[in-house]
Amino acid sequence: MDHPPVSSRARTARTSLTLPVVLTPVLRWADAARAKVRGLAQRLVEGRGPYARAFENLIVALVIFSIASIGVESIPRLPEWATRALRVAEIVVVAIFTFEYLLRIVAARNKFAFIFSYQGLVDLLAIAPFYLLGFDARWLRALRLLRLLRVLKLQTHFLETVVEERTRELAEKNAALEKAQAQLKAELEVARSLQLAILPAAFPARPGCEAAARMIPATTMGGDFYDYIELPDGEIGLVIADVSGHGVPAAFFMAVARTNLHELAVHHTDPGECLAHTNDALCAQNPLDLFVTVFYCVLDPKSGVLRYANGGHNPPYIRRAAGTVETLRGAGGLVLGAMSGGRYPTHTVQLLPGDRLVLFTDGVTEAFNPAEELYGAQRLADEVHVHGGGTPAALVERICQSVTNFAGTAPQSDDITLTVLTWGAP
Amino acid sequence: MNLRIEEIGDVSCVAPVGRLDFDAAPGFQEALERVMSGAGKSPAAVIIDGTGLEYVSSAGLRAFLLAARAAQRSGISFALCALQPAVREVFELSGFSRIISVHPDRASALAQAQQGRV
Repeated sequence: MDHPPVSSRARTARTSLTLPVVLTPVLRWADAARAKVRGLAQRLVEGRGPYARAFENLIVALVIFSIASIGVESIPRLPEWATRALRVAEIVVVAIFTFEYLLRIVAARNKFAFIFSYQGLVDLLAIAPFYLLGFDARWLRALRLLRLLRVLKLQTHFLETVVEERTRELAEKNAALEKAQAQLKAELEVARSLQLAILPAAFPARPGCEAAARMIPATTMGGDFYDYIELPDGEIGLVIADVSGHGVPAAFFMAVARTNLHELAVHHTDPGECLAHTNDALCAQNPLDLFVTVFYCVLDPKSGVLRYANGGHNPPYIRRAAGTVETLRGAGGLVLGAMSGGRYPTHTVQLLPGDRLVLFTDGVTEAFNPAEELYGAQRLADEVHVHGGGTPAALVERICQSVTNFAGTAPQSDDITLTVLTWGAP
Repeated sequence: MNLRIEEIGDVSCVAPVGRLDFDAAPGFQEALERVMSGAGKSPAAVIIDGTGLEYVSSAGLRAFLLAARAAQRSGISFALCALQPAVREVFELSGFSRIISVHPDRASALAQAQQGRV
């Protein structure tokens, strides 16, 4: 309406002027009182204290009593005094239920939601018949049946208690689980740093030789490893290996395999012989039936002669100084730890100044991208061909970048390990 | 990974389909154990048909190794056939083709299984 009547507008103005002045202290007091009442109500119906418990028990007792009284009432030819007593009891019970119902409405944060909640409706239905029957309308007698709904009222009380108890138990269990998980995680972190500490920090210094390596575990604990071993006569042993699976079992087996190989290498300078002995040692202490693929080579830094043996590992690449990439022949020996008594032939290759030896595990070539395609040997060979001219560290970094870029958002399913060695005449 | 298991006489043919990696290996291993020590009488031979097997990780190889060992203990002949090139390369590089017999196709694997029994 464009023009409301003048009188209405005037009344509004008067009210809004006088109310604040006269009623502000009263309203403030009323607000405080309301908050206090609400606090009390909440403490009584929603709290956990002794009063709340007593009140709860009182209500449950009254519900049981009133259900029983409904049964007694239905007995025919009840004496007059009993009928009167039941009637008085009913008035008391309904009065207390009504008090409780109003208390719950006062205590509820969202009153509307409470009134229409399951408990709100059940509480109302438990007392409604009494008030309706107060009119003594005969047609409302049927509503007496509704008093049986007090059974539901009983149920809501127990349900509430059970749910609360379960919730508390669940919270306690969750907290305990979280604590255990945090502890396990912390222990795994320690184990991981111990494992990484097993890997050699630096390549033995030899004139003309340079090496770089990197291991990126797929899970906290990896099964891949690499190793440099200083041998008698100034030779250097180079190991790259991949234990089946990953996680804690693989990490343990890795530590056992690495230690055995490292010690046996000093006594058996022939690579094939060293692998055969390591294999027998691993087969004798392998309760989990794990195995490890190992490529082991021995470099004579003076002559550039490389002797090697392969126990089921991906054959490494040699990048010649001119840029061509060759695969080292002689692959196909059995993995170590699977069957004792195996023999591993030793092969020899002559390195020329400027050649690079690239050792890797299948985590590199078998990295998947989101489209489930493999990184593959060809991509690796291309990287080695194009970017292998620099330092070993630069090539390791380059290949790791290339694999990471290729994999994109796909999760890393296997450990990634790389070792690059350059040899130049001393 | 899915498995199709077929009984041809007293030979069990197991055809894994998909990728046999770290996550799939335990299930595959259990399935092979069930095939070999099933409720009825165990088969005379188990043949793994690799037609649908796209990828085998080192954990997958371990499942094959354990199955081959279990077969040997129970006197069951165990063989692979029809491997895809990439998977065959994994078996060759790891040396597994030296300890588990690998056949080009199912027919020759079946023939070998029959011969072994005579």
